[in-house]
Amino acid sequence: MRILGLLAALAGLIVLPLVSTGYVVYLANLLLTFTVLCLGMHIVIGEAGQFSLAQAAFFGIGIYTSGLANTAFGWPFPLSVLASGLVAALVGLCIGTLALRMRDIYLALATFAFGEAMQWVFLSWTSVTGGPNGLRIPPATLFGLEIVSDRQAYPVVLAITLLMIWATVLIARSRLGRAFRAVRESEVAALAMGVPVRTTKLVAFALSAFFAGVAGAMFAIYSTYIHPDSLGFQTTILVLTMVVVGGLGSISGAIGGAIVFGLISELLRQAPSYQEIIYGLILIIFMMFAPRGLFAFIGDNLKRFARA
Amino acid sequence: MSKRAPGRLSALAAACFAVMSLPVAGFAQEPGLTDKTIKIGMFAPLSGPNMAYGFDVANAARMYYDKINKEGGINGRKIEVVLEDDRCNANDLVAAVKKLVERDQVFLLNGGSCSAAVVAAKDYVVRSKIPLIMLNASGDGALYPPTDYIFGAFSISQYAVGGAIVDFAAKTLGAKKIAYINHDDAYGVWNLEGSKADAEAHKVDLQVESISPTITDVTAPFFKLRAVNPDALAIVTYARPAALLIKKAYELGFNKPIILSVAGTANLSQLAENVGSKDALKNFYVQDVLADLPGGPKIKWVYDMYKEAYPDLAAKPDHPQAYMPYGIPSAMSIVNALKDAGPQPTREKVLEALKKQHFDSGVMAGPVVFGPQERAANKSTIFIKFDGTNQVLQPGVYTSRWQFKG
Repeated sequence: MRILGLLAALAGLIVLPLVSTGYVVYLANLLLTFTVLCLGMHIVIGEAGQFSLAQAAFFGIGIYTSGLANTAFGWPFPLSVLASGLVAALVGLCIGTLALRMRDIYLALATFAFGEAMQWVFLSWTSVTGGPNGLRIPPATLFGLEIVSDRQAYPVVLAITLLMIWATVLIARSRLGRAFRAVRESEVAALAMGVPVRTTKLVAFALSAFFAGVAGAMFAIYSTYIHPDSLGFQTTILVLTMVVVGGLGSISGAIGGAIVFGLISELLRQAPSYQEIIYGLILIIFMMFAPRGLFAFIGDNLKRFARA
Repeated sequence: MSKRAPGRLSALAAACFAVMSLPVAGFAQEPGLTDKTIKIGMFAPLSGPNMAYGFDVANAARMYYDKINKEGGINGRKIEVVLEDDRCNANDLVAAVKKLVERDQVFLLNGGSCSAAVVAAKDYVVRSKIPLIMLNASGDGALYPPTDYIFGAFSISQYAVGGAIVDFAAKTLGAKKIAYINHDDAYGVWNLEGSKADAEAHKVDLQVESISPTITDVTAPFFKLRAVNPDALAIVTYARPAALLIKKAYELGFNKPIILSVAGTANLSQLAENVGSKDALKNFYVQDVLADLPGGPKIKWVYDMYKEAYPDLAAKPDHPQAYMPYGIPSAMSIVNALKDAGPQPTREKVLEALKKQHFDSGVMAGPVVFGPQERAANKSTIFIKFDGTNQVLQPGVYTSRWQFKG
């Protein structure tokens, strides 16, 4: 049943650009990008329990790296995706090293400060980022073809998203995933069981940043412009909200949260006068009635329904 | 995996990519146009913290379209507006634009109140060959270098802000040496470029200090500028650094005229309060882009029209919002271009007509002027003497000479 559902979802995703307008495909690209961002946040917060609030900064690093790799070095697109992930991971590793001594709210504040500092860098490093003028990103090329539309970008974005979901599942099922969860539950117990806590935390930071960097490169495929305003704390909070609404600690929650919350946000543009109120109400309702996330809530109710 | 497998996979991927790249359906000849209607896609920040930049500006444009419809429309066609919220955010603005173009199939776009966000739509608009006439965003980043499809700066081009101040200081105040403070960002660079063009024309010595928009102590840049003994001080910054500079000038006994750019004048009573003393504003001028003082006799008709169109909104204390009138010249340009394009308009005909627009909106300080290489509608401003309470309009309109050189 579950496999059938997954196959149906995959089939839907494949035919989407053939049956919908460019606007819908653009939204799909954006939601898939946010899915990868959410997977990154899921690894560091949901799996490893490290409260990192710098996802937008790593996302920005990925976008600018990809843009630079394309403009300055003319690298092929797959290489620029990899470079975006690796540069972000390297910075994540550095931040992880500095943040190792902190936990909980202090860690959140330290990573928040890093995110704010990075936004300042994006705004001020005019020669690289275009500063407040923003940066125009040239079209990426793949198999000799220039990607100039959402429809052309979609298969690439979808393929990368599926690859990143697969990687997240592999990580969760691996020894590393178990180490993440052990650290999340109790660092002392994890240490007693022989888990290298320090290294595990560092890897979580680096992997999360890698995912955000790759998401940045994905964004650079279909978006032709980036402004530092889009890389502030608001973006991090949006990703965090998606992960929490979907269900903290679950991969399907991270994916579902990105898609459901992204769609809600888009639908609410139709009700500009009331959207902040509706947005707030949805969040409050989720926290009150589905504190474990949307998918756990649906699962629990389905089980209850089956028993009845 | 066989040795040939990677090659097959690449071929398969290339085939999938090519299939996905095929367009789903071609556009009709001229989307958004019927014998009886012309569909215009509007977008502006209608919610959130930046709503003040565009909500009432969009309302002003809509009430102008309603007026045209009541008068019979354009060549027998009524204007139909589809309005989207862009939240003043690049991703949302691009989504709104794509929705209007691809789902609602509008004939042209009329939107954009936030310069940074509207630039994000530039490539898509140019690729789609759809006319975009901005609302009140300066949007210089999307206007220059000029394309055939994007028109804007109905409030004023950032390039012209500083130039018009130099024009006023030289002509009216007789300044030969101007101390000029701008921001150290792209907007600062743009307005300085325009200022230099006007300073050269007036043979004015421009002494420049660039500061961060988030500066908290303005003592050092102010001392540097005071040391050159200027005839006037031009402050081309946002309101917060402007208040610090005016306060510092007063504390240090600077008694030459101070001119504040339109970027810092959104709330003058708040500015007076932040400066702290009315004596600091004894020799103080502010720049504005409207044809008259806000609510003054020349533009009273706009405010009356707003009250009639939106009685409920007009009764609220914060309405009409400060930038409301800016929506009128934008809508006027579209209506004029549609009329000029004749009874069978096409997007190309409208674009050609837009390039020839030259008219006085009766709302802004200067005329709307486009040209073969000119995409910024307004480069003119007025100046108001402000003493902390009263506003006195200074005679004349001051226009920057800056031209895009490519």
